[in-house]
Amino acid sequence: MLSGIDYFIVIAYIVGMLLLGLYFKKFVSSSEDYFLGGKSLPFWAIGMSIVVSDIGALDFVGVSGQAYRYGIAVGNFDWVGSVPAMLLAAFIFIPYFWRGGMYTIPEYLGRRYNKSVRTIASATWILFFALDLGVLFWASAVLLNVLMGWPIWISILSTAGVVGLYTYFGGITAVIMTDVVQMIIMFIGGFALVFLSLDAVGGWENMVEKIGAMGPEYQSHFDIIRPIDTKSPFPWTGILFGLTFVMANAYMIGNQSIVQRCLTAKNEWHAKASMIFGSALKMFIPILVLFPGLMAVVVHPNLADGDQALPMMIKTILPPGLVGLMFAAFFAGLMSSVDSLLNSTATLFTKDIYEPFIKKNADDQHYLKVGQITTLVLLGLGVATAPMSSDFPGIYVAIQTFMSYFQGPLFAILLLGIFWKRSTQWGGLSALVIGIGFAIFLNVFKAGFFTIEDPFLYISWWSFLLAFIINVVVSLMTKKHTKAELDGLVFSSKILTQTSSINKTL
Amino acid sequence: MLNFDWLSGISQETAKLIFFGLYFLIGALVLMLPNDYVYEGIAKEDRHWWNNLKLWSLAVLAVLASVYYQF
Repeated sequence: MLSGIDYFIVIAYIVGMLLLGLYFKKFVSSSEDYFLGGKSLPFWAIGMSIVVSDIGALDFVGVSGQAYRYGIAVGNFDWVGSVPAMLLAAFIFIPYFWRGGMYTIPEYLGRRYNKSVRTIASATWILFFALDLGVLFWASAVLLNVLMGWPIWISILSTAGVVGLYTYFGGITAVIMTDVVQMIIMFIGGFALVFLSLDAVGGWENMVEKIGAMGPEYQSHFDIIRPIDTKSPFPWTGILFGLTFVMANAYMIGNQSIVQRCLTAKNEWHAKASMIFGSALKMFIPILVLFPGLMAVVVHPNLADGDQALPMMIKTILPPGLVGLMFAAFFAGLMSSVDSLLNSTATLFTKDIYEPFIKKNADDQHYLKVGQITTLVLLGLGVATAPMSSDFPGIYVAIQTFMSYFQGPLFAILLLGIFWKRSTQWGGLSALVIGIGFAIFLNVFKAGFFTIEDPFLYISWWSFLLAFIINVVVSLMTKKHTKAELDGLVFSSKILTQTSSINKTL
Repeated sequence: MLNFDWLSGISQETAKLIFFGLYFLIGALVLMLPNDYVYEGIAKEDRHWWNNLKLWSLAVLAVLASVYYQF
């Protein structure tokens, strides 16, 4: 349980977020305001929002736990697993999406391939996001229940009430601007823990020495590159092929909740800069989430469950006041994930399902209302499905694993869609369907195919490769798209050299 | 084959060099982008060196490379 000062900090944080989010209600008068912030936001806010949405409270605990077990190699996910992909997104993909005036990634896929690809991609994201909502509501309720002593249902309803209110009224502007404050709180709380933990272990050199002396299983704790025959899930081949080439790109280029933020930028420079600024901030994330796990090896050796590393460090290292701030940082991570899912799912449903299939050519106010109502329905769905996490404790991992099936094939069709004009609608559709099927097949029979503990990086690479090949083969056998159909959708050197004139044609 | 055992002859040191090569390649590609493209969205008279996204990218890549050099 928290002390008085911690309790005050958490309550002040929750109320402050609600008031700040509601302030942005006055900027919403159209569907573009609601889904794209009226295309008026600066790079720094978007960059901070990308980072804080990407790292949630569950990741704080999970990454610290993995660092406790496997060492610094976990940092690959935020270093090489983010920066190259974010630069590719900034300079190639985001300008296309931004100039095309798009709202969603499936919208691009629909224009480039066909309606079926758009619908499959959108429906898959909606399903995953909706399932994730329930898990996140449950996680935040458990956190409030343990630390504040609130009953579970009160905890779920208060999280849903606060996040739901400002997301419903303020749309993506409220989501991004509250994310800015949430990121600052997360960084202050995280760095406080790192500095105090470093002091507790006697400094960096001392920690490295102590961990190295703990036995052979700790000898490679500070090796960021692991050999192919490692038993950990992070061999360098998986990091290079699965993470750097596929999963990172699929996440930064194909994830609606990330890309939608960049599309709110006030101009193309801000859209590009937001990704690069975000990549700079991402480099600090391992310091916040990984280092406490490493230091816990010294302070709390022999923990049965690595996921206990971070809670134990908070309990033993932080003084009253900072515990409240760290808890607020956890809660910030959860809130930013929930508000992102709510707004992105509402955008996907309104633009990719409702507008093309249910009511075409309605006035803008109608779509604004649909977006808001969808947010409310999702909120209700998230609250109703939250207890599932208690009945099925592995559901979060299951959702994330299933999500990874989708990443490789999605990135294959995005990559060929933008770089190869010969790629056709049937190539894209068959690559997506067969690629997802192949990823599921590999996962089901992974014991027969792979030697490492959790081969999700390898599965994403091989499913990407098969989807890529299927797309090429089927495209070559089917009728190519006309030049007019591909206008503004396929990469051309003109985008680099004739920027202003291209802008006018899109 | 699916486990990349055909790459098992590559040492950790060589693997690290592959990562450095990747950062170098990305940096070189960023440098090849036309200046007008990286400033697109800012009026010509308002462009300053600190708006140059090539410099931002190279700085991020340099920090990334130094992290991999350190560990």
